[in-house]
Amino acid sequence: MRSLIHYTNLGSRLLPSFGFADRSPTVCFEGDFGRWFETALAGLAAPVCDNHFPVDVYEDKDNTYVRAELPGVNRDDIKVEMVEGFLTINASRKSLAADGKGEEPFSFSRSVSVPENVAADKVGAAYENGVLTITLPKQEETKPRKITVAVK
Amino acid sequence: MSLIQNLVPASAQAPARCDCDSDPNSEPTVRPLHEFSETDEAWGLQVYLPGVAKEGLEFTAEEGQIAIRGRRAWKSPADWTALYRESTDAPYELVLRHDKSIDVEKIHAELKDGVLRVSLPKAEAVKPRKIAVN
Repeated sequence: MRSLIHYTNLGSRLLPSFGFADRSPTVCFEGDFGRWFETALAGLAAPVCDNHFPVDVYEDKDNTYVRAELPGVNRDDIKVEMVEGFLTINASRKSLAADGKGEEPFSFSRSVSVPENVAADKVGAAYENGVLTITLPKQEETKPRKITVAVK
Repeated sequence: MSLIQNLVPASAQAPARCDCDSDPNSEPTVRPLHEFSETDEAWGLQVYLPGVAKEGLEFTAEEGQIAIRGRRAWKSPADWTALYRESTDAPYELVLRHDKSIDVEKIHAELKDGVLRVSLPKAEAVKPRKIAVN
């Protein structure tokens, strides 16, 4: 069956073969060298393969926000915990098995240090388009208060 | 300059041509992570596009090439300050060439929770055939 498929990737015969190169119907247009760089740089660009996923932390005057890129995860498989100033995100996904048949479970975990002044009972989370957004409201007393002083 | 060219002949050559179809002046893009699977009938392509909604996704299939471009639906509000960033706002771009063994008319794609699942049915010519032996 293999001989019926003619890959346009001629260079691969001269180079050590990658497991996926034999199965892929497409040929990455950068060629093999591009793929080497891609493999080397994959960890920097979008580390979803690893169990390390990109996390962003934002802040406005009322809340701290943590956004995590977790594509293709069921809402039930996301667990968010907050313990002593650390926010831990656990998620699992069924990933494609190496042979392309069946699925194997795959889990991610990440801890992020968050400010001390979080109102832990009001933490909220939303999952949309594969991005988890956690809202961590700041406690009342740490918000800058405006005090009007009457001048006599 | 000519001295350098004498010492290093390669420096006289034009820089290596970038073998890419995209316009070099266009904004930078990120190549999304993707996986392939294969059955007798079709190839399956799974592309991870966190943050992309259906509206921001563009999928084109031409002769010999499929291109997936995705723009993130979310932009950080003006009053949010980024304390720590790991993701980028750059749009995703994945261009894959194939050897025309895909039935372009029957491509099916589905986007859910930031994962695009594409089914690329094999053209009749490359499907495995049973040959009767006499």
